[in-house]
Amino acid sequence: MDPLYIVLIAVGVVLLIIIGIYNSLISRRNQVDNAFASIDVMLKKRADLIPQLVNTVKGYAAHESALFEKVTKLRAQVKEVGLHSNERIELENQITQSMGQLVLVSESYPDLKANENFLNLQRNISEMEEQLSAARRAFNASVNDYNNGIEKFPSNIIAGMMSFKRKPFFELPKTSRADFEKTPEVNV
Amino acid sequence: MQSVDDFKLFFENELSDKLDELEVPRKQAVRQSILLILIILTCIGGGIAGFIAGQMIISIACGVALIVSAIVLGISINKKVKYIKKHYKDGVIRPIVHYVSPELSFSPTDYISQSEYNASKIFLTGVDRYKGDDLVQGKIGATSIRFSEIHSEYKTKDKDGKTQWHTIFKGIFFVADFNKHFKGETFVLPDLAEKWFGGLGKMMQKANFTRPELIKLEDPTFEKHFVVYGTDQIEGRYILSPKLMERITELRTKAKKISISFINAQVYIAINVRKNLFEPPYWSSMKKFELVEEYYAYLLLCVNIVEELDLNTRIWTKE
Repeated sequence: MDPLYIVLIAVGVVLLIIIGIYNSLISRRNQVDNAFASIDVMLKKRADLIPQLVNTVKGYAAHESALFEKVTKLRAQVKEVGLHSNERIELENQITQSMGQLVLVSESYPDLKANENFLNLQRNISEMEEQLSAARRAFNASVNDYNNGIEKFPSNIIAGMMSFKRKPFFELPKTSRADFEKTPEVNV
Repeated sequence: MQSVDDFKLFFENELSDKLDELEVPRKQAVRQSILLILIILTCIGGGIAGFIAGQMIISIACGVALIVSAIVLGISINKKVKYIKKHYKDGVIRPIVHYVSPELSFSPTDYISQSEYNASKIFLTGVDRYKGDDLVQGKIGATSIRFSEIHSEYKTKDKDGKTQWHTIFKGIFFVADFNKHFKGETFVLPDLAEKWFGGLGKMMQKANFTRPELIKLEDPTFEKHFVVYGTDQIEGRYILSPKLMERITELRTKAKKISISFINAQVYIAINVRKNLFEPPYWSSMKKFELVEEYYAYLLLCVNIVEELDLNTRIWTKE
């Protein structure tokens, strides 16, 4: 066979491999964006629960107003920051904590605890948190996949050429993680 | 929850008399079986001897004796076996089911239907023969459960055209309401590929076209034993919370090989068991505590799944 053909075939094969690796990196990156979009949807849904929660608790526990203001302010702030930024993650984590505190407050108000609306809300919040936790884990799994792709040989060469960077995980603050992953006590 | 000592007491107080009662026909049936074997051997021996000696009349007499005794004794043995089986289920297994939980009912001849077995999509091989018995159903707390023994098989033809049967699944098939809402399908299957082939196995799992997308989870012990497929990455994780993964791993240590699917608001669990459960022994004594205790342990395992998987916790929007 003509040496020229051999060289051409070799080049063709190498090109195909490069295209394959490049495409897989792109789909991993898109997967990360996609997963973050799902987190975003959950976060927005959760943010919509805040006014309801504040209004319900307010009727029974008026003097917790500092907490109401804090959580309302956080909600407004989140709307202003960029979609996938560390600031956003930080703010969302604070919201998680404040909402947790708001629900905890109910412990000292028996009337509130018996309120049908509040019980419903409490269920909605635990549902939300559970879904959020799932979305966060899905996001972290795709980030892990993506990071593996840009660090493992040989795809790291192509990732380097395309200047793909490692992406950060969506971490939770240590304190709230424990709250998150234990089953809350709810009397139904 | 009752302890083994409590159960032993229950066995002695409630089951012992019934078992003594059933031992009588069992011993009779065993004696008749031995007698039948002896008659068959004698008749065959006599028949051959008659044939060799050229006394055809002896051979014919032996043949007639064989057929008559086989029919007479066979019918009598069969009647006793049926009687024992029925009374064993009613008088022994049913009280154990009620002892485990009074909320449960027991129907010895019913089983989880094949359509439900198919709906679980745990086993994708086409079924040619489907059998089952010993259906237990009822409510444990807020959760409805149902389980029975199931044996599903498919057939192949060998090169001589003979049909051969192969087991797809044999064991306990369990169905319960799941406590969270979901739309898609999620499967938790025993991880064989990764165990045997390591990283290559992972690639094979990814390329498994019979299942939806592979879902890689973060719990390493869970991942070591199971492979998860699902139609939705987030929903799969919503169902399989870190706590539930731990609980399923825990369940695996007790039930050995299990496969789970989450479909249509239900959780389906297939627990592989080699032997036929909840049946009276024939050649050995029914009064062995270990045997009854084993049946009790399997019943308890199934009922405790509700607690193990925390299915009664209804803090989510599903009531």
